[in-house]
Amino acid sequence: MSIKKVILALGLLTVSLGYPQNEALFSEATEFYNKGEYTKALENYGKILENGQHSAALYFNLGNCHYKLGAIGPSIYYYEKALLLSPGDPEILNNLAYAENMRLDAVQQMPQSELAALYKKVVSLFTSDQWAYLAVGLVLLFVMAYMGYYFLRTANHKRMALVGGLFALGLGILCLVMARLQLQQTKNDNPAIIFSKQVKVSSEPNTNSDVIFTLHEGTKVKVIEELGAWEKIRIADGQTGWLLAENIKKIKEF
Amino acid sequence: MGIRGSNIILFLGLALLYGQPSLAQDGEVEFNMALSKDQLGINERLRVDFNMNRDGDNFEPPSFEGFKVVMGPSQSVSSSWINGKRSFSKSYSYVLMPTARGNFTIGQASIEIGGEIYKTLPKEVVVSEAVDRPNGQTTVDDVVGDNLHLVAELSNSDPFLNEAVTVVYKLYVGPNVSVTNYRSLDNPRYTNFWSQDIPVGRHEVENGTYQGKPYRFVVLKRVVLYPQKSGRLELEPLSLEVFVDVPTDQRDFFGRTIYTQTTKTVSAGKRTLAVKPLPEAGKPANFGGAVGEFDFSVSTSKQQLNASESLQATVEVKGKGNLKLFQLPEPEIPSALEVYDPEYRENIQTLFSGMEGRIANTYTIVPSYRGKYPIPSISFSYFNPRTESYVTLESEQIDIEVLEGPLSSDAVVAGSTPNRSVVPLGQQFHFIKLKPDLRPVESTPFFGSRTFYLMLLVPLMLIPILIFFFKKREAIASDELGNKIKRANRLAKKYLSTAKRELGNKEAFYVALEKGLHNYLKAKLKIATSEFSKEKIRDILTEKGVDQQDRDLFIELLTNCEMARYSPFSEVQMQEDYERGSETISKLDKQL
Repeated sequence: MSIKKVILALGLLTVSLGYPQNEALFSEATEFYNKGEYTKALENYGKILENGQHSAALYFNLGNCHYKLGAIGPSIYYYEKALLLSPGDPEILNNLAYAENMRLDAVQQMPQSELAALYKKVVSLFTSDQWAYLAVGLVLLFVMAYMGYYFLRTANHKRMALVGGLFALGLGILCLVMARLQLQQTKNDNPAIIFSKQVKVSSEPNTNSDVIFTLHEGTKVKVIEELGAWEKIRIADGQTGWLLAENIKKIKEF
Repeated sequence: MGIRGSNIILFLGLALLYGQPSLAQDGEVEFNMALSKDQLGINERLRVDFNMNRDGDNFEPPSFEGFKVVMGPSQSVSSSWINGKRSFSKSYSYVLMPTARGNFTIGQASIEIGGEIYKTLPKEVVVSEAVDRPNGQTTVDDVVGDNLHLVAELSNSDPFLNEAVTVVYKLYVGPNVSVTNYRSLDNPRYTNFWSQDIPVGRHEVENGTYQGKPYRFVVLKRVVLYPQKSGRLELEPLSLEVFVDVPTDQRDFFGRTIYTQTTKTVSAGKRTLAVKPLPEAGKPANFGGAVGEFDFSVSTSKQQLNASESLQATVEVKGKGNLKLFQLPEPEIPSALEVYDPEYRENIQTLFSGMEGRIANTYTIVPSYRGKYPIPSISFSYFNPRTESYVTLESEQIDIEVLEGPLSSDAVVAGSTPNRSVVPLGQQFHFIKLKPDLRPVESTPFFGSRTFYLMLLVPLMLIPILIFFFKKREAIASDELGNKIKRANRLAKKYLSTAKRELGNKEAFYVALEKGLHNYLKAKLKIATSEFSKEKIRDILTEKGVDQQDRDLFIELLTNCEMARYSPFSEVQMQEDYERGSETISKLDKQL
């Protein structure tokens, strides 16, 4: 009995210690990084990921380590991951730019219409979850305003509550739509980073077809379709082609 | 003449020789017979010489059966001094004409030298049918044809594609003729070959054998060939016009052979090369046709520099092989760097065994912005014909670090070259983040979850509920009678709960009721009234402005409580008193 209890207690202890242990690994990795022992720092970060925890900071630091080691693909990959968790972080964007300058490929961005850019900018302002929280808050506000309208005595107060409530409701519905759109967008958007030194992109998902173009490590592609071990990708200038899935790593796979 | 010119020969007259015969007495005595040919046509002539190295007497020629002596005997004597050593020769010559076809034997001749008789060995002569050019004189052309041979020697007759083959043209010259000059008539065009001539500086005469006979030879031309096609390839022959001195049968006054000059066209025979294609098995994908043995390297002039300074990246291949016949691999340089077209340099010597040296492409690179730019390793493959296998060499990755440079926020606009994609950079490469902010990797999305819908819809559902309660409260507020009862109940609950519990138990009920009434007054008036008389309580209540009726009721209740302890009270009366108590309290409550 007592042994079982001890084991149980130990188990509980390790579970409860899980988080502090990761924090210790993290700060240890920081020291390694500062001393220039990037591989050791990478090992520590890897352990944290194995323990089932992550954060934008963790991916950012992974990216930094890989950058220092001169690994183009992994550094861009982890910066992109960090950006996924913390969109628009200026530090991440800055270091990503450094890493992107190591790339071999020069892919021209396809021009975008102003309206599309604006739409994208607005929708991408928050993640779908953030939009959802906003909608919940606004609905709550609407309910409060409605109650106010009901309980307040003076006509002036009543009017203010009514206008505010309707405004909150409108905004709330908009937020819901945005959350839905953002979710759709993130679902359709499946970016990946090329990890192989060089990949030949062919016109069909087999080895006999023509090679359309060649990509190098670190280039960002978008996965559109899959067929067996092959993935159909699109690069920034709009060209599409097939390549073997082993050459790329999808950013959204955690 | 040149051949014999090295010897100092002294021809002496007969008289001089006879004067000093004793000097030739030492050494072996030789006496032999030489035939100009051992096979001749019936219309040709045969010359027979009997040579001796010492003077003798009583020469007896053989009988020459089957031949008729056309001329002879003619004597010739020569004596020479070479380096203080004297040599002597004497010969008897005959010219014979055959009289019949068949095999004949020239019999023994004898001579007496120093008191001993020497005899020659008999020799067989075959006389065949008449020939076209009966006079035994060989023409100059015949002599030259036998004595001049142009040969093309191949270092390798079955090379691989692009493997070096050396062709050496040798002119073999027989002992009888001497070459004075030559002129090439037709220089072969080496179609399907890449060729390079290796100039021959001085023609040096060497000794060699050709078809088993001793010859002198001169190397006239050396060519290195790289076959560009597999299969059987023919080499065009080289034709030369050679000026030669040929000895004739005529002699000048001193007995020297007279030479005539003639020209002769010689050509090396056609040679075919069986060129093997490179094996397909194991052929690397990036194979660019290099065959030989090479070293490969990629280097940069510096690895750390400031922006807008330049550096040179050199891709170099050195070694032996078809250096001029393949392309150097191109380095893959990050697109953010400005790269100019390469400068090609070569330093190749074509040796006897093929091309040797180095070729290099030098790229000038100018980084514009700060950062780290790795030049990945590139590979170079070649075929080694010696081991008959492909070799792939990899260069090392080079990291270029640009330490200082301009900020490139405005550089994107300036980057006019479409080939470059520079991502705008901040001032510094940021240090890692120190706050972990860790959270579980597995997280369910909030949007669309049950909690989300609950949080969204519950407040909305609250609206009708709240309105319902609100309406109910309004209704309650408007109902006055019900309200009164409610208040009475509440007060009674507060002060008379003990009494209600003791309902039916006479003693305890009235004690509790009295106590409850006093407690009420105590709570309301902040006066402990339990010790006061009824008159005093009446006065206080009057003072507070309580109704006459209510005041009397309160006092009556108190009196009842006292009286009940000593007189029988029924259960119905108890219930009545409780209700009157709570009614009185609620009535008083309004006025106090």
